[in-house]
Formats: sequence, C-alpha cells, structure tokens
Amino acid sequence: MKVLVAVKRVVDYNVKVRAKGDGSDVDLNNVKMAINPFCEIAVEEAVRLKEAGVATEVIAVSVGEKACQEQIRTALALGADRGIQVETEGSVEPLVVAKLLKGVVEKEQPQLVILGKQSIDGDNNQTGQMLGALTNMAQGTFASEVKIDGETVNVTREVDGGLQTVQLKLPAIVTTDLRLNEPRYASLPNIMKAKKKQLDVYSPADLGVEVKSHLSQLKVEPPAERQAGIKVEDVDQLVDKLKNEAKVI
Amino acid sequence: MSEPATKPLSPEILSALGAIVGEERVLTDAESAARYGADWTRVHSPAPAAVVLPGSVEEVQELVRLAARQGLAVVPSGGRTGLSGGAVACRGELVLALDRMNAIDDFNPVERTVRCGAGVVTEQLQQFAEERELFYPVDFASAGSSQIGGNISTNAGGIKVIRHGMTRDWVAGLKLVTGTGELLDLNRGLVKNNAGYDLRQLVIGAEGTLGVVVEATMRLARPPKDPAVLVLGVPDMASIMDVLAAYQGRMDLQAFEFFSELALQKVVEHQGLQRPFDTPAAYYALLEFEQVSDADMEQAMALFEHCVEQGWVLDGVISQSVAQALSLWRLREDISETISRWTPYKNDISTTVSKVPAFLAEVESVVNGAYPDFEIVWFGHIGDGNVHLNVLKPDALPMAEFQQRCGEVSRWVFEIVQRYGGSVSAEHGVGLLKKDYLLYSRSALEVDLMRQIKRAFDPEGIMNPGKIFD
Repeated sequence: MKVLVAVKRVVDYNVKVRAKGDGSDVDLNNVKMAINPFCEIAVEEAVRLKEAGVATEVIAVSVGEKACQEQIRTALALGADRGIQVETEGSVEPLVVAKLLKGVVEKEQPQLVILGKQSIDGDNNQTGQMLGALTNMAQGTFASEVKIDGETVNVTREVDGGLQTVQLKLPAIVTTDLRLNEPRYASLPNIMKAKKKQLDVYSPADLGVEVKSHLSQLKVEPPAERQAGIKVEDVDQLVDKLKNEAKVI
Repeated sequence: MSEPATKPLSPEILSALGAIVGEERVLTDAESAARYGADWTRVHSPAPAAVVLPGSVEEVQELVRLAARQGLAVVPSGGRTGLSGGAVACRGELVLALDRMNAIDDFNPVERTVRCGAGVVTEQLQQFAEERELFYPVDFASAGSSQIGGNISTNAGGIKVIRHGMTRDWVAGLKLVTGTGELLDLNRGLVKNNAGYDLRQLVIGAEGTLGVVVEATMRLARPPKDPAVLVLGVPDMASIMDVLAAYQGRMDLQAFEFFSELALQKVVEHQGLQRPFDTPAAYYALLEFEQVSDADMEQAMALFEHCVEQGWVLDGVISQSVAQALSLWRLREDISETISRWTPYKNDISTTVSKVPAFLAEVESVVNGAYPDFEIVWFGHIGDGNVHLNVLKPDALPMAEFQQRCGEVSRWVFEIVQRYGGSVSAEHGVGLLKKDYLLYSRSALEVDLMRQIKRAFDPEGIMNPGKIFD
C-alpha cells in the first residue's frame, strides 16, 4: 500500500511571532522554520504503517517555495521513501493546495493520504477536507488512532465529549490530531541517508493547476498588550479590589 | 572567632528587627523556619532563630549592624537551590532573605548591562534579556528559583560554561554589605579597572562569608543564533572525550554535556520523555551549537560521520525544531530533579579537561568497587572538566548508614581528585557539606589566607559562619 503524506513548512511552534512594522504580514525574516507539528505526526503515522508492514512506500509531499525541501528532507529522515515538492511562490490558499495535492494523488495513486488536521500558521483546517471533496475519497479527520484492516481503515476521531470511530473504504484521507502518536527524533544516520533519497519537483502547470488567489490579507496586528498585574498586600485588599475595582463579586 | 549565639532571640532583638523591616517581615513560625533554613540538600535540619525580609540596601545594613552588635550569626538567603548547604541555617542563625529586593532596572543598551537586586530570579533576568533581544547565558536547571545574589555568592556555573563561563564572567559590578554593615560598591560596571585588587571577584563565590551581596550590575550577551541540539550515544567514557576533542577542534560549542544510561532511564521513566534512539549506549553526549549558516550543520554532520567511523559514536539524533531541542535538553536537565527522590549523595568534582579520561577511569573503579549494591548516576558538564557523581540511596537503607558509607568512599574519591590537582567542588561551592574536604584541593596556607580575608571583611565573624571552613 502506498501512503502519501503532506508536510508544510511553518514558523517554529516555539518562536514568538511578530507582525511586520507596516502590519502587512508576519515578520518571517530570520525566523526559525520547522515542519508543522500536525504534519510531523502524519509522517510518524505513515512511517509506523511502513514499519508494521502495512505500507510499502511512503511519499512525502510539500507545496511551497524551494526552502520547503528542508521539511521534505526531514520527513525523509524520519522514514519516508521519497519526496515531491510542488513549487509555488508566496502564500497559497488551502483550496489551491488541495487541488495540487489532488494532482499528486492522481499521479501516485496512493491508498492512503495522511495530512495534519491544520497548520499552525494559517490555522485553516481545510486542506484535508477539500482534498476529500475534490478526489471523492472518504475522509477521517482529527484522528487519534488509525487502524488499517484489509480494504478499510478504522479512524478514531476526537470529537467534543468523546471519541468516535468511523470506518472508511480505501483509498481514504486521514487528518491527524495531536494525540495520534509521539513523533520520533530524526537520527543522524537517517538524515544522511535522506540526502540521497529521490526528491521530484513539479510545477503547478505539471499538475494542470492554475494558482489563483481568492483572498487578500488586509492587516496583521499583535494582540492588545495586557496590563501588568499588581500584588495585593492582604486578603482584605484583594476582596476590596474585586468588589470595587473589578466589580466581580 | 567566637561561636555566635544560637539561643532563641530575645523579645528585644525581635522588636529591634521589626523596627528595621516591619514586624510582619520578621518570621519565627515553624513553617518559615523550615522553608528559609534549608536549601536543596537534606542533610541538616533547618533551625534558624528568625527570618527577616529586608526591602532595601539600607535595611540590610541596619540588620547586619544589629547582628554584629548582638553577635548574631547571619545567613544570607536567595533561592536556596544550592547543593552544598551554603544557605542552610541549622544553628539558630538569623536568615536574611533577599526575595523582596528583586527590581531590575537601569538597563543600558550601549553597555549591555542591567542592574539587578539580589533577589532577582535568574529566569526573570533571562526573560528581561530576551524581551530586549539579548541573552543572559548562565543557565541551569534551577534557574526558575535561584536568585542573582545567590548565583554570585556561589559563582553558579551550569550548562553553558564551556562557551560563556560562570556567573563570575557576567558580573560587571556589585554592592556588598560587609560584616560591619558598611556598603562597598565594587567595580561599578567598568570593563577595565586595574586600580588595585579586584574585590568584586573575591566576593563572587564567597558563599556569603564576606558579607551580603545586595545588588549587581549584570552583563548581557547577544542571543545564540538558531541553536541545534545533538544527542549522541557513546560506548565508553574515553570515547566521550574523543568526541569532545573532535567537535571542539572544528566548532564553537555552546554546551557539551554527558549522562549515563541509568540517568537516561530514570529521566525517561519519571518525566515521561522519549528516548532519543533505541540503540543502547553506556553514555550519552549532548552538544549544542549555533547555526550561523548551513555550513555549521554540514560540519556537525561530517564530524558525526567521522566519530561513527572511529567507533566513538553508536547513534545520534539532532533537533529539528525548538520543541525538540527543549525536549532533548530535558533529558539532561531533569536528571537532578528526577533523582532527588533517592536523596542522592552528590559529588561535584573537576579536573583539567585533558586529565578527565584517566581521572574518571580511576574514580569509576573506586566507586564501582565500593558501591557494588548502589545505583550510581553520572552526569555533568565534562566539556569544562566537571562531572557530577550521584549515589542513590536504596529505599531500605537508613539515611545515617547511607551517609556514613558514602562518606568513607568520598575520602578515596577526593584523594584521586587531589592527585589530579582537581577540585572537590567544581560549581556547587563548599558550604557545610564539603568543608571537611577543602584541604584536598586547597593548601593549608590558602585556607589560612581565606580566614584572614574573612576577618578583614567580617571582624565579628557573623557572616555565614561555619560555611567553607570553621
């Protein structure tokens, strides 16, 4: 079984992001970039399927500028067999990413596509679902457990108030939630091996997709600054302030 | 020096203390005594006569003058995260806790210095620096509790010493209240100041025996660029040194730490962390380096290949994100906290880096021979010649017996330290726990000079008496 796994290059989760001075966008100058944490979980799940003998080949795909090859190499170091970059300029909307991924799906014919449920930069949570609609494949989103069983896959989903397990017919799409697995570290020997793995680059035209923009970003601004707290001397003062200043009791 | 008073404080003294700091800031209850009288060691039972919380330099001066008049021993107290009992008050002393003197001000972007009250928590200074795109590089596991005054008094080291030195290297100036209550303003932020003895450096690491550090001007550095963390599995101690030499020959490392398999097992089990890789190894090395350009990563990879070819390294991982770098660091930084539940007997020993392999081999054979039934956890900074030897107490063994057995072996270990010209306390200080062993790394003449220096700063002998030497 062939597994396609999507990875996105995003600002490192631990970096404090700043808005550009003119408010046009997030300042990405000299900012540490990393693989989107949900995508990392997707890669780990795909690699585990391969280690379990369920998957025969894991292909990591990323849509983005040349720099995203770094994240594809990370996925290859984690255990993916080969990589595909679809080269685009600037920011690309989820619908376009889904269309490009559909192109890759048609080329590669995977039985399973695993994506992160969302990326931590755009926070859209759309690409997996859109890909499902475009390819007419079944989808199991927010997965906390994935079990392949012959021609079907059981996906346990984290829903409000509990867990729901759905059975999908393969080929299918799975988007990952945080608790699906704990991704491994990239080992140095595997990082070196990853450098020699195949990485193909496609243009959107190769996949018959026209990159269009439907949204324009008007403004990016930091959250309002919180006022510094104060220390109260004693309980009486606290009660007084809650009553008379905060007016909450 | 006469033995200072250890009896409970008279009502007159208590009200005199209250007159200086305010009644509510003189604490004599059992809970405060237990809290402020102890550090991270659990060997001595805390028994201070009282705890006072001054809010200004003037109040500290008045308190010290009062103590000098009354012959009251004073224990200056910071975050009390020390591991040698330097901040322990177990003989009816007056604990002078600097928690309230925690202002950070007078930031100077040109000098890259900032003024800190003694009670500023290390992490607070680190955050202050970070907000200004600067960096306070002295870092260790207890940075969330330890205070600048205590860091200075113990010359705290930690995990970045190989690159950034110890606390000593970041103190541009400090203010000290001496044992007579006088205020010294030492060095005043100067970079160059060869006008006589550098008393500032004498105060740093003096463990509060010369006076109370009340304020310091700390230097800040530029932040490291995109630090990457490597964890390598290493078959034996000698290979760790080969790895260190290989990497240091080609790269400016930020850190080079090591820990043993048992240390890793304990941390993984108790902190819920992930093993870096499944390949078993006797020891692990943790390296951190800056990625100024892609060439740094290429260099690190090339060195890794070389180390594997030489048989020095079995396997390794590298952080791919900040989150992974932090998780890998936790494998090393969480060791101390993890093993504290076994009340370990700790040794913090050092020698010059080139002597470390032979030194370690000898210490290891003595320790393994002497403690065949004890669990030994090794970790440390190795890149600067400093290793921490921790002997875990078996749950069934009574504390007193455990300490007695460890004490015997300590002598053998310190004899090796002495032969190698090393130190019986690399970064934890002497305090109460190491003072019996001071002569293994200092000459009698040196200790005698230390006593004379103390007398010059503290003629009444009230400043943290019984610490470092009797």
